[in-house]
Amino acid sequence: MMRSEIDVLSPRTLEDALVLLQQHQNDIRIIAGGSDIIIQLRDGAVKTEKLLNILPVKDLRFIEERDGKIHVGALSTYTEIITSQPIRKHAWILVEAAKQIGAAQLQNTATIGGNLGNASPAADSLPPLYALGATVVTRNMSSRREIPIDRFFVGYRKTALKPDELIEEIYFDQLTRNDAGAYLKLGLRKANAISIVDVAAILREKRGDSYGDVKIALGAVAPTIVRAHSCEQDLIGKRLTKKSLQEAAKLASQDTSPITDIRGSAEYRRKIVSSLVYQALHKAVFGRAGM
Amino acid sequence: MGLVRVEHNISFKLNGEATTVKCPPAYTLLEVLRDQLHVTGPKEDCAKGECGACTVIMNGQPVCSCLVLASQAENSDIVTSEGLTKHGRLNAVQKAFIDHGAVQCGHCIPGMIVSASALLMRNSRPTKADIENALSGNLCRCTGYTKILAAVEDAVKRRRL
Repeated sequence: MMRSEIDVLSPRTLEDALVLLQQHQNDIRIIAGGSDIIIQLRDGAVKTEKLLNILPVKDLRFIEERDGKIHVGALSTYTEIITSQPIRKHAWILVEAAKQIGAAQLQNTATIGGNLGNASPAADSLPPLYALGATVVTRNMSSRREIPIDRFFVGYRKTALKPDELIEEIYFDQLTRNDAGAYLKLGLRKANAISIVDVAAILREKRGDSYGDVKIALGAVAPTIVRAHSCEQDLIGKRLTKKSLQEAAKLASQDTSPITDIRGSAEYRRKIVSSLVYQALHKAVFGRAGM
Repeated sequence: MGLVRVEHNISFKLNGEATTVKCPPAYTLLEVLRDQLHVTGPKEDCAKGECGACTVIMNGQPVCSCLVLASQAENSDIVTSEGLTKHGRLNAVQKAFIDHGAVQCGHCIPGMIVSASALLMRNSRPTKADIENALSGNLCRCTGYTKILAAVEDAVKRRRL
């Protein structure tokens, strides 16, 4: 299939989009901002007869605060996320990640729904969403599903999305002033770099010098984003000092199964992940990345 | 199966003028601009959104035209480096690039000028960090960044006068 043979359907409402998706589900692919799928169409990784261009669907472009949660429509761009006051205030680790995705041009077109649908293990918006315990909302013509993010991704570049479904929104609990959170990325340069490793850490339920709820998510070190469960368990309820953070961070490499690729070897990733987790925890708890 | 070419009429504003072009809807905006409309300011280099040579302003924001489908440009407002020149008068960024000699091979320059102009359109007093951030998606393989950054900083000063 050459690109000149591909038809593009551009619905304007969510309802029209779902009808078209139902009708053409066997030979259609969804395109949102396009920054991943256009490359995949050109290099042959994606073959399709039709594209469903959902970009004109305004119903999928919103960022709202409701009942202590933030709801982000699938077509929200990274620029919209970076400039959203509710997200800056109550989910700042997502802003930190969004700022490091691509550069201005990509942030203006790439969408959070696209990042979810493309399911890259190195997608920078995903570790913050795992750490926030986000829920993905999908829709087809007849029903709506709410899927916890760690069950939305079922394998390397595989999601639980059915052929007649699209992603409507993602939502998560707001962070409060008592919560700590940080995101750090190691790339080969500051802009337009795919992560070698990235880390999102959130600590909640603060009691004195310790936290009752710790979520640490790691990107680019396994077929999907993974949580650093060993490290999390070690930190829960413990008095947090530079030393206790360092000891817990060492455990993080146990939770990974990295590969060797052009950006770094598996061995390097296993070593660097502990350092990056320590720095992220230090930044979250003490306000700056620790040395 | 024989080749069945799909074509749509796609309308958008290009450098201030209403434009309609008949093209395969899954072609990129860059392909349509260069190959069908012969607007050659935007260039194709990496075709992956990493180099910024194809940058155009779409609805007020810089985007990589290699990563936008022709279909997705429907009803949009597109400005290329050509459209930054009004009635033969270069804009402040274009003039500053000439005055600073901020050009080596020149290939990346339309993208650089479009990104810098888009920044100045939304922020009349950008800091050096703002400029570096706005140009971080534009690569110059001659590594002529020093003069490019100086030109943009100078354009900011001139616009303030």
